[in-house]
Amino acid sequence: MATPLLEIKDLHARVQDKEIIKGLNLTINRGEIHALMGPNGAGKSSLSYVLCGKDGYEVTSGTILFKGQDLLSMPAEERARNGLFLSMQSPVEIPGVIVSNFLKQSLNSVLKHRKQEELDTINFMKLLRSEAEKLGIKPEFLKRFVNVGFSGGEKKRFETLQMSLLKPDFCILDEIDSGLDVDALKIVAEGVNSLHTQDNAFLVITHYQRLLEDIVPDIVHIFADGKIIKTGDKSLAAQIEKSGYASFLTKDKQ
Amino acid sequence: MNDLPLIQNANMFLSDRPSVYAFRQQSLLSLTKKGYPTLKSEAWKYTDIRPILNQKLTLEHNDLCNHCHCQTEKDDSFALNIFFCNGKLHIEDFNTPPGLNITPLPLALYNKEYTSYIGHAYDADKHPFAALNGFYLEEGLCICVEKAAKIAKPLTINYNAHSPDGRQIHLHNIFIIEKGADIEIVENYTADSDATYFNNIVNEIYIKEGGKLNHYIIQKESHSAYHIALNAAKIQKSGTYHQYYKASGAKISRHENLINLEGPSANAEIYAAYTAKKECLNDITTNINHLSQNTTSSQYVKGVLEENSSAVFQGKIHIAPHADKTCGTQLHKALYLNDNANLNCKPELEIFADDVKCSHGASCGEINKDQLFYLISRGISKKEAIKILTEAHLNEIFALIPNEKIQNKYFY
Repeated sequence: MATPLLEIKDLHARVQDKEIIKGLNLTINRGEIHALMGPNGAGKSSLSYVLCGKDGYEVTSGTILFKGQDLLSMPAEERARNGLFLSMQSPVEIPGVIVSNFLKQSLNSVLKHRKQEELDTINFMKLLRSEAEKLGIKPEFLKRFVNVGFSGGEKKRFETLQMSLLKPDFCILDEIDSGLDVDALKIVAEGVNSLHTQDNAFLVITHYQRLLEDIVPDIVHIFADGKIIKTGDKSLAAQIEKSGYASFLTKDKQ
Repeated sequence: MNDLPLIQNANMFLSDRPSVYAFRQQSLLSLTKKGYPTLKSEAWKYTDIRPILNQKLTLEHNDLCNHCHCQTEKDDSFALNIFFCNGKLHIEDFNTPPGLNITPLPLALYNKEYTSYIGHAYDADKHPFAALNGFYLEEGLCICVEKAAKIAKPLTINYNAHSPDGRQIHLHNIFIIEKGADIEIVENYTADSDATYFNNIVNEIYIKEGGKLNHYIIQKESHSAYHIALNAAKIQKSGTYHQYYKASGAKISRHENLINLEGPSANAEIYAAYTAKKECLNDITTNINHLSQNTTSSQYVKGVLEENSSAVFQGKIHIAPHADKTCGTQLHKALYLNDNANLNCKPELEIFADDVKCSHGASCGEINKDQLFYLISRGISKKEAIKILTEAHLNEIFALIPNEKIQNKYFY
């Protein structure tokens, strides 16, 4: 059997003194879309930060293999260059950094790592404009400062644009539906679906089943109190929508 | 008299034409009377200039620079370029557009029309280095934009330091913007070595009714050099002075603006971005005097402090009695890259009128960790991400530059 894309075993992690991940097991193969659903404060975003190596998120025990390699020994930038991408829930505004310059630097550091030829400005701009157009992003947008004054929809579309440029193997979409109206959600979901191939995988983090109608998962996990408490197919999401998380949480406690 | 640091060959400089002689003598008297500033002088309390005085810097007597290649970058399609090398002007025919007169200072000193402007924009008693500059009054330019002339191409003055080790250089420029005239002037200070020298500059700026000057200054002196500059401006009714300043050079850099808003609705805006390099000091001191009604000013300064660097920001807004309906704002934001950096920030508001709007603010902080993570999580190395965020901090200032060509060539 092929090596799983991502294999997390008995992961424990903390922020300062607070334990946030308490024995998580998760295996994701290429070609799969997983959904991670759970109530507020369950530690979903924390899990994504642990995976991406954000400072302050400390793994106390357990292992994570990404493409068969020890992910935890890699610094954050190397994880990204190796094909891990986090679409953030609330992407931070960076005044003074122009979208196109940032994307060029990001893409070239990834290409360099893959031992592919880096793009000069002309070729990069050509690629950027065509990818942007597919997502309905206007050229003026590319001259703006990163995330500054972006609407909710623009922010998420911009995250999707980055995915389409960097072509990561594994994408974590942390509440990509938050702050989006129905139309914006559709555009982003279409963008994500068009990027999905048999070679990559997605972990979709969300509160709501609504998103999962547009980005259809193969596997749904319910995540609460730092670990996965139930795994099923997409019907699990519908069940949550109907009866809420409470029923699963009580069952777990019993 | 010769015992005063940096003063040499006094007799030679005091035996010139009477008008020049009188001005030089007056300047020397001011300096002798007041002396150089110390840390006890309020305006200089954070900037210790003793290293400059202790250097035993000498004057250079060569008249021309023949040996350097400082004009290699000459590109007159974009701007009209003038070159100084080690404080000496490259004499050439200036291909000036109609309405613009450029006269080398030694010639301007013979022209009564111009001499009346010299030393008029500042008080030598209060500006010791301008007094020193006045004593050595010799090199510089007198730039006059005629009434209602709109000069389309920017005028770039390039000051190249071509290994002027151990020298002191004094330049004195006069900018006269006549009624309704409009020009953009770029001053570009560069060095081609890590020489120790002292560049002492005075710009006297006269903006007449409705005149407009966009003044761009890029200071990239050697990191062993000393750079002291005074921009003294007098702005008449509805005149506009906008200054965009970028500094990253010099061991000790003092950039001082003295701006008098003399006529109603006169306006001055200062946008500055500096990087205080390791073991260097960067001082920006601004005095804005609102002397008439409806005058407006704003100052926005952003800085980056590297390890073991120091920075000073002193911003004073003075509003004279009856200068009502005026508005003066001031903001300074600093970014520390290391805990071992020292910032002294001194805002001063002096308000003698009732109906005014004034504000000041200062902040300092470290690199934002969320922004850093965002960049790193996109594959950019930590070192590169810090560089991007540092530049971004300053880019907010550069983004305000109205001339895109100047912005791209000199600021980004």
